[in-house]
Amino acid sequence: MRPDERELDDEIRGHLALSVKERIERGEDPESARLAALREFGYVPAIRASMHRVWYSRWYDAVEALGHDMRIGLRSLLRAKGMAATVVLTLALGIGANAAIFSVVRGVLLRPLVNRDEDRLIYIRQSAPGLGVENMKFSVPEINDIESRVTSIGAFGDFSTVEFTMIGLGSEPRIVRAGVVGGSYFDVMGLRPVLGRLLNAQDDGPKAAGAAVLTYRFWTTSLNGDPGVIGKTIRLGPRTATVVGVLEPSVPYPAETELIANVVTSPHHLGATMVTNRAHRMTDLFGRLAPGVSLDAARAELTASHAAMMRAHPEAYSASANVQLRTTPLRDQIAAPARTILLVLLAAAGVVFIIACSNVANLILARSVRREGELAVRAALGAGTGALRRTLLAESLVLCGAGAVLGVLLARPFVGVVAGYAARFSVRALDVTVDSSVLWVGAGLAMAAAVLLAFVPRLPSPQGLANGSLRITPGTNRRLRVFAMTQIACSFVLLAGAGMLLATLVALQTANTGYDMRNVLVFDIPTSATGAGIGDAKVIDFYQESTRRIAELPGVDGVSVGGFVPWRDAGSFGPAVPFRVEGYTPANGEENPRARFRIVAPRFFAVVGIPMLAGRDFADEDRSGTEPVVIVSQSVAQRLFPNGEALNRKMWWTDPYFGSKPLPRRIVGVVADADDENVGRGPALTIYHPVRQLGVAGRLFVHAPGDPYALVPAVTRTIREISADQPVERPATLEDVRAEVLSPDRLNAFVFSGFAGIALLIAVVGVAGVLAFSVSARTREFGIRLAVGSAPRHLLARVLSEGVLIAAAGIAAGAAGGYALARVAMRVFATVQMPGALPVLGATAVLMAAAAVASLTPAARASRVDVLQALRSE
Amino acid sequence: MAKPPDEGRLELLQGTLDMLVLRTLQWGPRHGHGIGQAIQAQSDDLLKVETGSLYPALHRLMKRGWLKAQWGISEANQRAKYYQLTATGKAQLLREQDRWSQLVHAIGRIMNPAARPGESGE
Repeated sequence: MRPDERELDDEIRGHLALSVKERIERGEDPESARLAALREFGYVPAIRASMHRVWYSRWYDAVEALGHDMRIGLRSLLRAKGMAATVVLTLALGIGANAAIFSVVRGVLLRPLVNRDEDRLIYIRQSAPGLGVENMKFSVPEINDIESRVTSIGAFGDFSTVEFTMIGLGSEPRIVRAGVVGGSYFDVMGLRPVLGRLLNAQDDGPKAAGAAVLTYRFWTTSLNGDPGVIGKTIRLGPRTATVVGVLEPSVPYPAETELIANVVTSPHHLGATMVTNRAHRMTDLFGRLAPGVSLDAARAELTASHAAMMRAHPEAYSASANVQLRTTPLRDQIAAPARTILLVLLAAAGVVFIIACSNVANLILARSVRREGELAVRAALGAGTGALRRTLLAESLVLCGAGAVLGVLLARPFVGVVAGYAARFSVRALDVTVDSSVLWVGAGLAMAAAVLLAFVPRLPSPQGLANGSLRITPGTNRRLRVFAMTQIACSFVLLAGAGMLLATLVALQTANTGYDMRNVLVFDIPTSATGAGIGDAKVIDFYQESTRRIAELPGVDGVSVGGFVPWRDAGSFGPAVPFRVEGYTPANGEENPRARFRIVAPRFFAVVGIPMLAGRDFADEDRSGTEPVVIVSQSVAQRLFPNGEALNRKMWWTDPYFGSKPLPRRIVGVVADADDENVGRGPALTIYHPVRQLGVAGRLFVHAPGDPYALVPAVTRTIREISADQPVERPATLEDVRAEVLSPDRLNAFVFSGFAGIALLIAVVGVAGVLAFSVSARTREFGIRLAVGSAPRHLLARVLSEGVLIAAAGIAAGAAGGYALARVAMRVFATVQMPGALPVLGATAVLMAAAAVASLTPAARASRVDVLQALRSE
Repeated sequence: MAKPPDEGRLELLQGTLDMLVLRTLQWGPRHGHGIGQAIQAQSDDLLKVETGSLYPALHRLMKRGWLKAQWGISEANQRAKYYQLTATGKAQLLREQDRWSQLVHAIGRIMNPAARPGESGE
């Protein structure tokens, strides 16, 4: 029914042909007949358009009129280049920041995983809120219990992370992180090989041959994607394995590893502790929902069976630990660490967008006052309210469209920056790319802004024409101020937030940790290469010999070994362990106290700078076969024996891990507290054991008063002389370890400060713009004031105080809004805190100063108004 | 677009074009050019319909469902669109004719009171 473009053309052509034919029949010559027919027909495009419009009337008219208005708008904006440029740039910043952050949010939180039917994949974990442990993992007996009771999960996959010393790929022995998995793991995860095969049921169990699958990242970055690796035999610690395949690129979870091997490659996984000890938790558990089972149903069944299991083994689950089972879709579990930070960033970007829009609204409002005359003339000529709004909409569409284009261009590099940043929290951010969502977000925001801005200016009243001169009505003035205050308020929220992050960071970076930060150099020297067991004489000899020879190096004044690099190894020893001490009986209902379990060699405390408070240090005589001894931290001694003496009491660990008859150990010393789990120093109940009685250490501590890093080659060489296969890795001073651990905090502060900086910049421009406009519109008023005897400095003070007043009102609004926002955020995210007084005061001071500076130029202009010119100008 | 002044030609009254078009199509389908010609001829050249009014009117009537169209081959051996009354179009023509005669009657009474029928009452 509705004719298309070709039909319209055909109809017109048919008409003309008939008309020409008629004229020729009347005797005209063909050429003049053609011209006459055309002349008689009328202006073809116009008639064609009017036919077209019958069918497409309303939208056609509206779009055409808008297009017309946009052309006019573009022309009139080109006359106001400075204002247009400011608007476009401001909007581009707002839109670009939002589009980029949204891309990353989408890529990290929402994008599906590559795994087959990834929405059926779940991650199961135990948490112990009572111990402050988010993810306690599982022991093998626990997994067996759960697997045997649950039917809603089609299959379970288990994964535990270990470190191997690998020899075979590449020349040097190196430490690799590896996943050790059962036969069902890859099938449950729904992953495919890019080369060779993955591990399957035949690779499971203690009798299978050692087999390993390389991760894609390791294969491409360390082995240059060499297809010849398939079939090679590698040494993993004491065992060997054949490389059977390369895994497709996928999100590594729970840990980034170089390879994934079967159980037989890890002697530990075949040992009694792993297989039978319920408290030996080091395994992550994945599941694939059985067909037709909902997540909620599976969660309910898992929770019920877990509760039943805990009832069956009450000795392994203390009431105060409050162990709970959590079931989450794998995708959410992977994204969880980045969720808070990304949502906070998204909110910050939203605030920047509000600021940008307020600022642009101000500029447009000011401009509309200047063109009130033009609008009044249009209204007088018969333009209705709708037509006038359309004019304004067309102009703001031009501005916002340009802003969106620039914003999307800005977003491209920005996505890279934000993704690199988010990668600290979730590996998924590494492969976030710029996609069309940036365009959609940009276009959507631009449209929203355009519509908003079109409704900001007041339309001229019918009386508007009475006076063609530039006037600011009280209403417009109020709006200008409200927008300026909005900017200040939003900037305040961002500044206070950034200030809070900075304050936390500074506090962490300068906190006294109890360690000698600058002069202690740490190394990882894992011993698994030798294949020695716990307490093996070979390992002890190796420690003894390397400590002795490194101590002889020039520039070294202390060497020791231990099992735990502060902060870097946080979490690797699991949660604190319950123990008992003779002479201390927990009150009725109270549970046994818990302490961190640490292993150190003699002289460790002296090397890292922890003072001995009582008793003695470990000595070479504290070896296996002699009396078991421990050293406790000050808070252990004070908590258990506030009045008495902790020395020479006997303690023993009560965790089932240590068996049913744990050895009593005598307390021989007390050292100062040092919190090696958290950089922010907390109370640290720690109990240290001598390495010679437990046999494992794996970390080397060197005290060097000079430049510690200069010693790295000599230390490495010395160790390799003793044991050629020994890896020596990750040398760093404690200070750098702390910096490394704090780098996510530093990045948070940095990115948030960036936002706050942008916000501050826009707000300053906004306040300055409002005042400048208000001054230029009141030239006459200032002229009169000067004429009747006002001192110029009074005018200066007047304008300045206007700016400061706007800032003060904005800060008050920002403080109120920010307080409410923080309250809401605290309820949603556990990690959000109310900023202290310092960041709030700092933000206030910065904004006040900025407002004063922004007001200076307009104020100076007000005080320099030329009286005669001002009075004559109108 | 200089047009020769059309001496003695009448301006079409607002709103009458639709009626004239419907009326012209009473005796069968015609193309746009033919409709214009017919109106001109039947009014003894007193009325001339501008194509700029005629074609939008044709499309408007079609959109309302009073006309339907079919493509055919014209005398000039060109594709041409032939318009034709629909059933509702015929009804509409009757309505418009009715309204028109009422209007003529009413205007006649105002413009020519002497000829008013039934003036005996005065």
